[in-house]
Amino acid sequence: MTETVLESQSLTKYFGKTVAVDHLNLEIPRGCICGFVGRNGAGKTTAIKLMLGLLKPTIGSSKLLGCDSMALTPVIRQRIGYVTEGHRLFRWMSIGRLEKFQRAFFQKQWDERLFADMLEYFGLSKKQKIKHLSNGQRAQVSLALALAPNPELLIMDDPTLGLDAAIRRQFLAGMIELIMREGRTALFSSHILGDVERVSDRIVVIDKGRLRANCTLEQFRNSVKKVKVAFADRAPTEFEIEGLLNCRRSEKELELVLIGTDSNRINEWAKTVGAEKYQIVQMNLEDQFIEYTAPASKGKLFRWEEI
Amino acid sequence: MFDKIRLIDLMGLWVQISPGSDEPVYVQVAEQISEAIARGELSSGDKLPPVRKLAAELVINPNTVARAYSRLEQAGLVVTKTGSGTYVSDPKLRKADAADFNILTERMDTLITRGLNLGLEQQDLIEMFKTRVEKFTKK
Repeated sequence: MTETVLESQSLTKYFGKTVAVDHLNLEIPRGCICGFVGRNGAGKTTAIKLMLGLLKPTIGSSKLLGCDSMALTPVIRQRIGYVTEGHRLFRWMSIGRLEKFQRAFFQKQWDERLFADMLEYFGLSKKQKIKHLSNGQRAQVSLALALAPNPELLIMDDPTLGLDAAIRRQFLAGMIELIMREGRTALFSSHILGDVERVSDRIVVIDKGRLRANCTLEQFRNSVKKVKVAFADRAPTEFEIEGLLNCRRSEKELELVLIGTDSNRINEWAKTVGAEKYQIVQMNLEDQFIEYTAPASKGKLFRWEEI
Repeated sequence: MFDKIRLIDLMGLWVQISPGSDEPVYVQVAEQISEAIARGELSSGDKLPPVRKLAAELVINPNTVARAYSRLEQAGLVVTKTGSGTYVSDPKLRKADAADFNILTERMDTLITRGLNLGLEQQDLIEMFKTRVEKFTKK
């Protein structure tokens, strides 16, 4: 099944003169867990709000479940779950009251049993007031509220921000549980690449509002490579290789970060520039992400006094 | 009184995921299962847990588990019977081809080079190798 559940065309948002989301063309297929990553201020929250129709795009458009984001009907909204950044819930309500309030939007599809089971698992009672809960407990209520209507598309904006490892794991387990049901899709933004790697099969990377990658996690893992090249005397200052993203140079060594360059190509290139030897270094997802989104900096962040 | 506890039923407990690792998650899962097969902890005919069950237990994407199983299948370590599940294959039916031998030789060469450069004698290396192999084969 390759049906698209979320798509955008040239989706763009300006705040004054600042562009937050810049011509985003996105397609997310049904049935995946998609990790939505980007550095602080990359435009993730704005992109999510645009897609949910909570902000009006400056230009471009987006569709959720085939329906234009600016014209989502209540019937379509019932099929979408949304968890806001920071888990903002009505503070004066009790958990039970909040459940009643929320389920009114979803009616029959509300899974009362799942909600009750989750509360029990978290050690929460329906009588407790939101304002008396800790951040972690509020997040747990918000997770239960998001999963109870069994949404076809679940969108979570940095749901695990500031949460402890155990509660983060509960969010990940919740997403796994959801997408095991037929035709469910989850998209979540996060800065914790380990979480993204653990549960996602798809990754979307944005940087300064622009789409940088939208592919399977495996493709991303395979395509960002670091190569260390050693030369007998001086490393060349000028050379060409396809897919070159970053290059660090010392007297006898080059360190290249390459995108999508296959190993045979690297091998050929190494011969033509007369490299003595080279090594393709395995990188973890976090290093790949940093290399991919951090501009090659000229200096070091911290300067140490020579002793 | 108790049924014999079988490792195959506890896969959710002994397979460890390290998301920060250089190895993709599906490789981590496949490697740990193939090591258990090599050690004889899982044997021919053992049924691997269903993809969805293992995914829920390990809190990883079901596609990742499926990918790990297909990697094991490509290596001939498991066979998938349609509609029934994935089983550890019969070692008698696995055959190493020339390419497999090449890979083995290459890896051994790397280790031998390392050992000799560390100043180990030939006999030390052979002893070490023997002990390691026994660790896998002794029950």
